[in-house]
Amino acid sequence: MDHQTTNVLLIEDNPGDADLVRLRLVEGNSPVNVNCVSRLSDGLASLTRETPTVVLLDLNLPDSHGAETFRRVMEHAPTVPVVVLSGQDDEVLAMKAVHQGVQDYLIKGNLSSKHLERAIRYAVERQALLRSLEIAQKQQLEFKNQFLSHVSHELRTPLTCIHQYVTLLLDGLAGPLAPDQSDHLKTVLKSVNQLHAMIRDLLEATRAESGKMRVEPRCVSLGELVQQAVAMLRPTADEKRVGLEIGLDQRLPLVFADPDRVLEVLINLVDNAIKFTPSDGAVMLQASMVDADPGSVYVSVTDTGRGIGPEAKALIFERLYQDPDSVDNNRSGLGLGLFICREIVRLHQGRIWVSSEPGQGSTFTFTLPVYSLAKLLAPIVIHQGGLRPAFVLVRVELTPLSNPPRGNWKETWQQALEILRRCVYLDKDLVLPRMGTSGAAETFFVVASTDLQQAGIMTARIREQLERVPDLKTKCTLTISTSPIELSPEKPGETVEQTVQTLASGVTQMILAGMDRKQAYVAKAASTAN
Amino acid sequence: MLRPKILVVDDDPDLVRALRLRLRASNYEVATASDGYTAIAQAQKERPALIILDLGLPVGDGFVVLDRLQNIDALSSVPVIVLSARDPQSNQERALKAGAAAFLQKPADNDELMNVIRLSLSPAQSQAAPWPS
Repeated sequence: MDHQTTNVLLIEDNPGDADLVRLRLVEGNSPVNVNCVSRLSDGLASLTRETPTVVLLDLNLPDSHGAETFRRVMEHAPTVPVVVLSGQDDEVLAMKAVHQGVQDYLIKGNLSSKHLERAIRYAVERQALLRSLEIAQKQQLEFKNQFLSHVSHELRTPLTCIHQYVTLLLDGLAGPLAPDQSDHLKTVLKSVNQLHAMIRDLLEATRAESGKMRVEPRCVSLGELVQQAVAMLRPTADEKRVGLEIGLDQRLPLVFADPDRVLEVLINLVDNAIKFTPSDGAVMLQASMVDADPGSVYVSVTDTGRGIGPEAKALIFERLYQDPDSVDNNRSGLGLGLFICREIVRLHQGRIWVSSEPGQGSTFTFTLPVYSLAKLLAPIVIHQGGLRPAFVLVRVELTPLSNPPRGNWKETWQQALEILRRCVYLDKDLVLPRMGTSGAAETFFVVASTDLQQAGIMTARIREQLERVPDLKTKCTLTISTSPIELSPEKPGETVEQTVQTLASGVTQMILAGMDRKQAYVAKAASTAN
Repeated sequence: MLRPKILVVDDDPDLVRALRLRLRASNYEVATASDGYTAIAQAQKERPALIILDLGLPVGDGFVVLDRLQNIDALSSVPVIVLSARDPQSNQERALKAGAAAFLQKPADNDELMNVIRLSLSPAQSQAAPWPS
């Protein structure tokens, strides 16, 4: 740095202070270039154009004050070191800035050029150190995740072999077994399954930690998932003589969630609950609405186990946490299950928590968002505080040619959905999530903020893209139709949210009417056939 | 009655042996291969009704095998079940796009494997869901 020119961006609105700082900088031993601006906006613009060696920043500027000033500079140029220039009465604020990532602060009253030079040099060095530390941490995390994912793959290979031979013996494919032998092998199989679950959790947790866990939310019935989870765990509960009950709120709405992931959470919580409940106890799985929070469904799993102490309660969702009191009677598990649950719930914008009194059992509760078309539509249809002028509902219907359809269409529909998402403008069009349709035909809907004419261009693009998929071109019929969405005249005093709500109901009506029409048509066809 | 022939491709001979036992017990005929090159040769020679394919193989991995199979007229319609220890999140879609009929991660549940085999051999029954009309 001694031989390089130091480029200083000085953001200071007081001309006297600015001159003084400039003077002190130029007096120093190393070559320096000072670019002085008096407004934050000019400073940010300059940072966009070029990267200085350091920013010297006054916090009180004509267009920004206090903490806001350094926050915005650091947001704009996170890699550039910042030194705050503070008045004598402002040291508290300057200290706060240092805590939040500014490199240093200088009191304007007693600036010497040596002092200034050294502050700049140290700020630059510290910033460089921080950067390399960050990069090293990132690399380390990446390495660890790659290692774990490799390990979990490598462990599966021998595990598969053990699993195959044990089941071979158990299924009697290598000759008859004595009852004792069969029992021993069942014990082996149980351990194999535990090991398998641990490997699965390891990979899941790694994914969650590196932000690679995915959820594909759809409009789903939570009641069905609850029934499914209970059906899967009923044998485990029966074996331990633990009661397993369901309590479903009658007015339960559909939720916006990834069914496979939610099932994973339910199974994990119920399985835990059974594990920690003594024989003749009970586990209750409930889903309900709470008046104060109409946007969420509350799902809870209550057991009659020994409960969780306050210390464990605070840490129980953390990765690798094991309740020290429970380790001896729960040798399975790495302490990843609840961490994975929390991450899945988080990805759904939900919350998860536990309430428990020692000796009184525990209740784990999580929330899932209610499926709301209005909520999905709002960011798309509102522009600058009001509703966009025109909307069109695009209906894309894909029907397999063979009857009954052959092959696996699930992947094809997923592919079609991804294509649709690429064909629309993300800021003003919305591809609706897949509906829980039965049968093999699939209908996708797009709400487009456009008029019919423009929608024609979009549908042409959709058709062209979809027909590029070999399966869709040769094994499906593709029908695309568009209809304008009627906007009811705005009522006086209506909030924009209410207007969106009305629009959403209109769209729902159109979708339902479309289904009715089709069903009516099918019914008619059937009656002619007779 | 003719027993459907299944070609098992895996480089772990112990696993191949176990699968052969299990498949034979369910009345399938079994051919085997332990690398990508032999897999194609065996498929051409044995004309299996179905192929169980590992992904990590020497001399042409599973994806190479899938690609070759797709390009041989006589074999392009033979259903392939990928049975691999690899992460489905990064491999399932790729395998299905490359022409696989199904992807199962190791260790797979035996009932599930047998079901997928049965369904793949008679795809007409695979979609038992009611067809609207």
